[in-house]
Amino acid sequence: MGHTEAEDLRRLAPQVLGAVVRRYGHFDTAEDAVQEALLAAATQWPAEGIPGNPRGWLITVASRRLTDLLRSEQARQRREEATARQILPDQLLAPPADSPARESDDTLILLFLCCHPALSPASQIALTLRAVGGLTTAQIARAFLVPEATMTRRISRAKQQVAGSGIPFRMPARPERGQRLSVVLHVLYLIFTEGYAATSGPGLLHPDLSAEAIRLARIVYRLLPGDGEVAGLLALMLLTDARRPARTGPAGELIPLAEQDRSRWNASYIAEGVALITGALSHGSPGPYQLQAAIAAIHDEAASSETTDWPQIVALYELLLHINDNPVVALNHAVAVAMVQGPRAGLDLLRRLGTDRRITGGHRLEAVRAHLLEMTGQRAAAREAYQAAARRAMSLPQQRYLNARAARLADDQ
Amino acid sequence: MKYMILMYGSQQDYDGMVGKAVSGQSSWSAADFAAMGAFMESFGKDLAESGELVDAQGLTAPVHARRIRLRGGVPVVTDGPYAETEEVLAGYWLVDCDSFDRATEIAARLTNCPGPDHVRDRAMVDVRPVAESRDELEP
Repeated sequence: MGHTEAEDLRRLAPQVLGAVVRRYGHFDTAEDAVQEALLAAATQWPAEGIPGNPRGWLITVASRRLTDLLRSEQARQRREEATARQILPDQLLAPPADSPARESDDTLILLFLCCHPALSPASQIALTLRAVGGLTTAQIARAFLVPEATMTRRISRAKQQVAGSGIPFRMPARPERGQRLSVVLHVLYLIFTEGYAATSGPGLLHPDLSAEAIRLARIVYRLLPGDGEVAGLLALMLLTDARRPARTGPAGELIPLAEQDRSRWNASYIAEGVALITGALSHGSPGPYQLQAAIAAIHDEAASSETTDWPQIVALYELLLHINDNPVVALNHAVAVAMVQGPRAGLDLLRRLGTDRRITGGHRLEAVRAHLLEMTGQRAAAREAYQAAARRAMSLPQQRYLNARAARLADDQ
Repeated sequence: MKYMILMYGSQQDYDGMVGKAVSGQSSWSAADFAAMGAFMESFGKDLAESGELVDAQGLTAPVHARRIRLRGGVPVVTDGPYAETEEVLAGYWLVDCDSFDRATEIAARLTNCPGPDHVRDRAMVDVRPVAESRDELEP
């Protein structure tokens, strides 16, 4: 099957699953049935030709498969004299006045289901990639470097939790929708960052996951074009991913932002991201994804690190810190302050952060301290900090980069 | 006067219809299924033309059914509540015709529906007068 056909199939996957779950329920079993229908399409269509109505074909095949699967499940349950039971959710007894959702909303409802707050983030991510992204369990396992059996267990447990929770197949009610959407956006963001900077293993980049996160964010943006944070998240992904070609050298080594060859950045991603964030910022008070995207846009539009509008970046990080007391944001704020007021001002801010347990275990605090110490000319202290950061870094490219910085300082002396 | 013509089938009958052999009995062939479809189509067309058809629907396999009951005052849903050999409603015709006898005549035509012999031997349809108003149900 060609590249485009495979992509078309994955685009149809959530629509087909949505249609089947809407009609028959059984989220967990229906998801298996849809995967089997997709597999059947991937093997039959190249030989027999694509049917006139691919979506209808997939729904029919998945529904038949669901009947089969339910049959065998039920026979098993009856032998054990157990029956699947669920408490009827209150919402089903009092249907809302909302008109029934349109077909195109199914993908969004599925996203809400997969990002159910009862699931762990790891389960939300895995389930989203399978049920909405249409990836196979084997592909997801490879992306996260875990054995396929582990991922199979994680996904089936997550599906059973969703099915067992008894939540109806419909958009979350208005009062909780905002909160639930922020979980969806967070899951997409985690998928993106997992792809952009692998937390472990030999390769730094997992291109498939970043691309998948962008694809899913585009779908959410198409469905909720008026939501500033959705636009902000998509913009943030595009503006960050735009730097991918310049982010690593020929041997896979990390190249910091200041030293990247900016002519290699993805100009169309930058243009699209800047347009998105400009549009989003023009109305309402910006949320955290919009602020992060605005910062990324300033970096991406600057010709060099020196000509970057650092005061504006400092101001944006301060807005971000007001919304969200996050040590990584505080760290980035310290770097921006150092670029405006000099490295000592940055180091002062780092000292205050030094007691925050959320960040002292990772490599980032030491890495930033090392950079700032190097800027002040304290070479021995900088070298020690680089070495400390390297010991804490999880990925090999990060370790190699930090050790190389440390070694350079030793060589020059 | 309205009558409802009811047709029954078990999960096993549905399985046989989609080509699965059930407990030693031969399943439906593609030709059997096509013949049944053609028969049902012309049956429905005739009723529509005579002006007696109000509505007709076939139901999906019993395995998709949900049953709702109160348990300790709380509504509880059970998925797939039927045993696999249990005969349950599979489809119906709502007809509006002159008499019970005419409705019975219509229903009797369904015995001509093609299918494997063991299915035809067991098949049955019921005809029931529809209550025109609540008064009819009162003692």
